[in-house]
Amino acid sequence: MIRQSRTFIATAATLCLALAACGTDIEPPRNGKTAAAAKSVTIAVSSDEGTLTPFTNQTGYPGNNLVKLIFDTLAIVQGDGVVPLLAKQIQTTDNKVFTLPLRSGVTWHDGKPLTAEDVVFSVEFYKKNMEGDSSIDVRPVESVTANGDTVTLTLKAPDPEFPRRILADMAILPKHLWSSVEKVSEAGADKAIGSGPYKLTRYDNARGYTFTANTSYALGKPKVDTVKVVVIPEESTQFAALRTGEIHMSARIVPPQQLQALERQPNIGIVKGTEFASTLLAFNTTRAPFDKPEIRRALAKAIDVADLVKTALLGQGTPGNPGFIHAGSPVKPDQLTPLYDAEAAKRELDALGAKPGPDGIRVLDGKPMSYELLVQSASTDRLRSAELIRDMLKTVGVAVKVTSLDSDSLDAKVWPDYDVRKGRNYDMSMWGWSAPVMLSSGTIAQLVASDPDDGSLNVVGFRNEQVDAIVKTLTSAPTMEARTTAAKQLQAQIAEQMPFLTLYYRNGAYAFRKDVYSGWTWQNGSAVLNKFSLVEFKP
Amino acid sequence: MTTWRYAAGRLAEYAAVLMVALTLNFALPRALPGGPLKLFGSPEALARLTADERAQIANQYGFGKPLHEQFLDYLGGVFTLDLGTSLSDGRPVTQALGEALPWTLLLVGTSIVCTALVGVTFGVVGALRRRKGKGSGLLGTAIVLDSFPQFWLGMLLIVLFGVQLQWLPTFGVSGVEGVTVSGVLVHLILPVGTMTLTGMGYLFLYTRSSLLTVLTSEPIQHAHARGVPYGQLVRRHALRPALLPVHTILMMEIGFLAAGSIVVETVFAYPGLGRLTFDAITARDYPLMQGAFLVLTLMVVLMNALADATYPLLDPRARAGGGR
Repeated sequence: MIRQSRTFIATAATLCLALAACGTDIEPPRNGKTAAAAKSVTIAVSSDEGTLTPFTNQTGYPGNNLVKLIFDTLAIVQGDGVVPLLAKQIQTTDNKVFTLPLRSGVTWHDGKPLTAEDVVFSVEFYKKNMEGDSSIDVRPVESVTANGDTVTLTLKAPDPEFPRRILADMAILPKHLWSSVEKVSEAGADKAIGSGPYKLTRYDNARGYTFTANTSYALGKPKVDTVKVVVIPEESTQFAALRTGEIHMSARIVPPQQLQALERQPNIGIVKGTEFASTLLAFNTTRAPFDKPEIRRALAKAIDVADLVKTALLGQGTPGNPGFIHAGSPVKPDQLTPLYDAEAAKRELDALGAKPGPDGIRVLDGKPMSYELLVQSASTDRLRSAELIRDMLKTVGVAVKVTSLDSDSLDAKVWPDYDVRKGRNYDMSMWGWSAPVMLSSGTIAQLVASDPDDGSLNVVGFRNEQVDAIVKTLTSAPTMEARTTAAKQLQAQIAEQMPFLTLYYRNGAYAFRKDVYSGWTWQNGSAVLNKFSLVEFKP
Repeated sequence: MTTWRYAAGRLAEYAAVLMVALTLNFALPRALPGGPLKLFGSPEALARLTADERAQIANQYGFGKPLHEQFLDYLGGVFTLDLGTSLSDGRPVTQALGEALPWTLLLVGTSIVCTALVGVTFGVVGALRRRKGKGSGLLGTAIVLDSFPQFWLGMLLIVLFGVQLQWLPTFGVSGVEGVTVSGVLVHLILPVGTMTLTGMGYLFLYTRSSLLTVLTSEPIQHAHARGVPYGQLVRRHALRPALLPVHTILMMEIGFLAAGSIVVETVFAYPGLGRLTFDAITARDYPLMQGAFLVLTLMVVLMNALADATYPLLDPRARAGGGR
C-alpha cells in the first residue's frame, strides 16, 4: 500500500509538471478560417473601466479607446495624419483660429440631434472639469462660438498640433444630459450616451460591458453587431480564454514569452505595430553626481539598450533613441547614433576623476559610486532590465542596488502627487511614459522644461538654459515645420545632456481569434482597439 | 446573573475591538504611499493641474478635509450605514459591497463546506488508518496539496480542464449571455476546486492530529482495554472532543469568508469581495477600502461571537459556571 501511495504521489507530481510544461503548447481545434465581420465579439480587458464616460474611465488604454466607441470627436487620427470626423473640414490659416463646419444628420444615441451648441458646451464643460482620464486640457482655447452649424475655436496662441492634441481627442458631450452634472467622477452609465458607432447597452461589475451597434450612425456602418467586454485581471487567464474561444480578442499586449506559442495557433491571429510607450532610466538630476551631464552620459554609455531589448523583451521591442523620440513618431525626429560604448564609459569616468577603489567600485569626490535603482515590482520586463543595468554598470565600476516597489510607493518617491514642484527622492529609477507623450512635440517639451508650469512632466528635475530656450521656441512655433525643427534641436539636447536614458519601446502585438473576427486594424497611438477596427466609415 | 454579567462583559470586549478596528480601518488607507488623486485623471493630465485645482478636487470628494473631520464623517457614516461613494466608479460603497458579497459568499462558502467535508473526513480516515497504506497515502497527498500555491494550481486546472479538455469555463461567474443557475454552478467548479484542494490539507492535518491525540489518551486506551469496541469508542467518545479544535479553526475560516480569496478571484476573474478589496487598495479608493475592511471586521467579530456562543454547546466544560 505504501508503494501504491508513493506511486500515486509520483504520478500526480509528474502529471502536474507535465501539464505545467505543456501549458504554452496546447493545440486548439484546427480550422484556420478567418472572419471579416461578426455578429458578436468578446474582448477581454484587465480591469474594470467604470461607467465609460470621458470623466469616469479608469485607464488611458483601453479605457479611453472604449469611451471613443461611444463618443465621437471633431477629428480623428488616421495613419500619421488627422482627418475630420464630426467636423466636415478643419479650416485654419494661422493655426490660431480654427473654423469647423459640422456634418449634418448626426444624432445622439437617444435620438436628439448633435448641434454646434453641444460642441461649445463641451469645450466650456472641459474647462470647468479637469478631472478624468479622458478629460481634455482646453485651457489653450481662448474662446469658442457657434454660428449655425459651424464652430469657431480661437486659441490664445498658434498651435499647429491643436487638431491632434485636442480636436482628435476631445469627446463631444450632449449638452442636454451633461449640463446638470456637478460631480463628473460620479457620472453614471446613463451619461455614457454619445454620438459614436456603439451604444453602451449594459454595464455591471460582475459581467462587464455590452456595446450594441448604433444603426443610426451617420458617419459609417459598425462592422460588429455586439461587442462584449469582460474583465479578466490575470494575464495567463486572458490568453487561456482566448485559446478556448471564450474571448475573441485580448486588449492586453502579448508578453514576449507567449508570442511565439500564440503565433503557432491556427485560429489565433496577431496584429503587430509600433507602440510609442517608452521605458526610461531616469536620473535624479538634482542629486549629486547625477547633476553633472558628463556623469549621466558616461553611465548611459555603459548600458547596452540593444541587449536589454534582446534579453528582457526577447527581441519584441525597439532600442531607445538617445534623443527620446521614437523614429515612427509624428514629430519626425532624427535618428541619432546609439550611445553604447562600455570602454568609452570607463575612459570618461576615469577622466572625471572616478577611480576604482579596492573593491573595484569607483570613488568620486570621496564617495563610492554606489546608487539605488528603483523599479516597479509589477513590471516583469522592467525588473529584468533593472537587473541587467545593474550588471552592466558593475562592469564599469558602478555599484547599483535594485529596489523593487509597488507603483504607488515608487511614484511617491519619483513624482509625489504628480507634481514636480514637490521634488523627488531617488538616485535612479526605471520610468516610462505612455504613448500620447510621444505624439506631440509640445508634450515632449514638458519632459525637460525647467519651469514647473511648462515642465509638468520633468520628473528628473532637469534644468538647462539652452534647453529652456529651445522649449520656448518650440511651444511658440506657429507652424508644424518650425515645431519639427525645434523638436530636432530638443532631441539633440536630450541626447547630449542625458537627463534620462531612453532604454526601449515595446513592440505592439495583440492577439485575436481570426475564426470569429479578423477586422482588427492597427492605428499608431491607439493600437487595435479603435474605431477603424469596428466601423466601415463612409468615404 | 452570572451569565448576564458574562454576556455583558463579552459585548463590551467586542465593542472595544470594533472601535479599535474602525480606527485602524480609517488610518491604514491613509498611511499607504500615494492617494486617491490618481483616480481623477492620467498622471500626465494630473501634472497639469494647479494647486487650486487639486485642492478643489480633494475638497469636492472629501479627502481634502482635515483628518479629524474625515474621521468623524466616517464614524457617522458607519453608524448611519452611509459608507460614502466609491471614488473609483461613483457607486455608493454599500452598493459595491452588496454586489460583490453574494458572489464571495457563494464561492468561499461552497469552498469551506467542501474543504471541511473532504478535510475532516480524510483526516478521520487518516487517523484511524494511520498505520496502513491508505493513511500514509492520504498524509502524503495532504502535505503535497497543502504546499501548492493557489495561483499555480488554479492555472494548472485552467490549462487542464479549460484549454486542454475544454470541459469547463476558465473565468467569470456565468456565460456572457446571462446569469443562469447552471452557468453559475459550472463557473464555480474550477475556483472551488482550487480552494478545496489547497485548503483541505490544513484541515486534514489538524483533524488527524487532534483525533490521534484523543485516541492515544489514557481514558480511551483504558476503555479499549476494558473491551469497549473500537468503532463505538471512536464514534461516541473520541470524535466529539477531537473535533472541538477543528470547530474553532472552521469558525475562524468563516470569519475570513468575507475577505474572499484575492488570489482565486483574480485568477478566475471572479467579481467577489476579495478582488473588490484588492482593487480598492490598488486605487487608494479610501471610502471603498474602509467599507470593505468594515465588512471583514464585522464578519470576524460576529464569527468569534458565534464561536464563543456555540463552543459551550459542544463542550460542557466551557459553559458559564463550569457546568456543575
